[in-house]
Amino acid sequence: MRRSLASAARQLAGTRGFCSKPEKIVASVLFERLPVVLPKIDPVVYAFQEFSFRWRQQYRRRYPDEFLDMSKSKGKGDYQIEYVPAPRITEADKTNDKKSLQRALDRRLYLLLYGNSYGAPSGKPVWHFPEKVYESEETLRKCAESALNSVIGDLSDTYFVGNAPMGHMVMQPTGNVSEPYKQFFFKSQVIATNKFNIGKCKDFIWVTKDELLEYFPEQAEFLSKMIIS
Amino acid sequence: MIRISKPKPLLTLTHQLLQRCTVSGTAKGKAKLKSGQPLKRSKISSKKGGPQKDGDSSGQGGRIQDEKQRLYHECLNAPTPVRHLTPRERAREVEREKMGLMSKERQREVEILKKGGRKALGVPDDPMIIGTPGLDLITLGLVDADKIPKYELTVEDGRRLAKEYSRVLMRKHRARQAAESTLLRLKKEAIEALPEKLKQAALVPDLAPFPANRFMATLTPPIEGYIEKMY
Repeated sequence: MRRSLASAARQLAGTRGFCSKPEKIVASVLFERLPVVLPKIDPVVYAFQEFSFRWRQQYRRRYPDEFLDMSKSKGKGDYQIEYVPAPRITEADKTNDKKSLQRALDRRLYLLLYGNSYGAPSGKPVWHFPEKVYESEETLRKCAESALNSVIGDLSDTYFVGNAPMGHMVMQPTGNVSEPYKQFFFKSQVIATNKFNIGKCKDFIWVTKDELLEYFPEQAEFLSKMIIS
Repeated sequence: MIRISKPKPLLTLTHQLLQRCTVSGTAKGKAKLKSGQPLKRSKISSKKGGPQKDGDSSGQGGRIQDEKQRLYHECLNAPTPVRHLTPRERAREVEREKMGLMSKERQREVEILKKGGRKALGVPDDPMIIGTPGLDLITLGLVDADKIPKYELTVEDGRRLAKEYSRVLMRKHRARQAAESTLLRLKKEAIEALPEKLKQAALVPDLAPFPANRFMATLTPPIEGYIEKMY
């Protein structure tokens, strides 16, 4: 982050007292696909609903058949709709194809990239979120948007939730980065598409929360707090 | 003005002498109604039409009226497989039986029990499916059929199931509340950790409306090639 000489001089000579070195800030994006299908119902809940339905049926009045026929005949005619519902466990589930968005339809999927990350030792590709170092743009959200832009191509199918980050981590110096920097996470969601052209990195993957925690073993606790389900 | 004000005193007199119930149009006499007596039905709707049709339909009209009245009677006193009685009512029934009297409903209940209990009247003993056949929750994979606890249709089982249900849902609710408050806390900490200018920018509330075409989770997934075709 380059600050002008005047401001650096002001900071050094000023009476504020915070650290004189400008801190590096990295904006990263948690790009998620919301669940496509309703989640599974707990069997206890289902059992209770069934029980209450049958209990109430006991006390239901049984009306004579002529009465019921009268109400049925006045309605619309019978038309059979042949509807075969699509299966909830798709082929991508069976083949465990992590690049497709059809995988875990009742859970959220998050995007991870494999390539050169800011905090990693230079040259060694590592799994990371799409990120960008903050360099005097207007807001951090715009920085995050440009990060996602560079990866996906265009932002028409994404929705950034709010102007504020949803979490931050202070990363310790490793590899080619000499000082601690702060990584801020921004939340953005997939809107209405099934395919993305992910460029600018060697590999990408769409993971659920449990798999995500495997990819980041040392930050697992923080990530499990930040991401629900 | 004189014309409007004149009929008023007459109306109030008739109103007081013979009050009409607003719904059925019949006389509003509650005191003289005895229980068990067939209720008077409003004859307004079943008025025979026109003096010309009187000759033809008077013979058949009477029979059709009877059938309709029978239908109405059956609907209004439709039976239930199991009667809902308070404990006090049950005690009263037992006493009446000792005395030798039995009400019609009790008789019906005894007959149902003789025929084989609730099963005769269509309350199945095995678990029913929720939803239309073929699209119900079990075949769709939303519920694991083998993990459902077995139960009978008794009060104790009902109470046990209700307790488990409440326990499961409350646990989930509390977990969700805790997770959401953690999210808010993390967000606040992140905003605090920003440098001053970015913090002001982050605190600006984003009032842009969220996109209308955001996909809503449904019971069954869309067909795989569908979304591309829409564009």
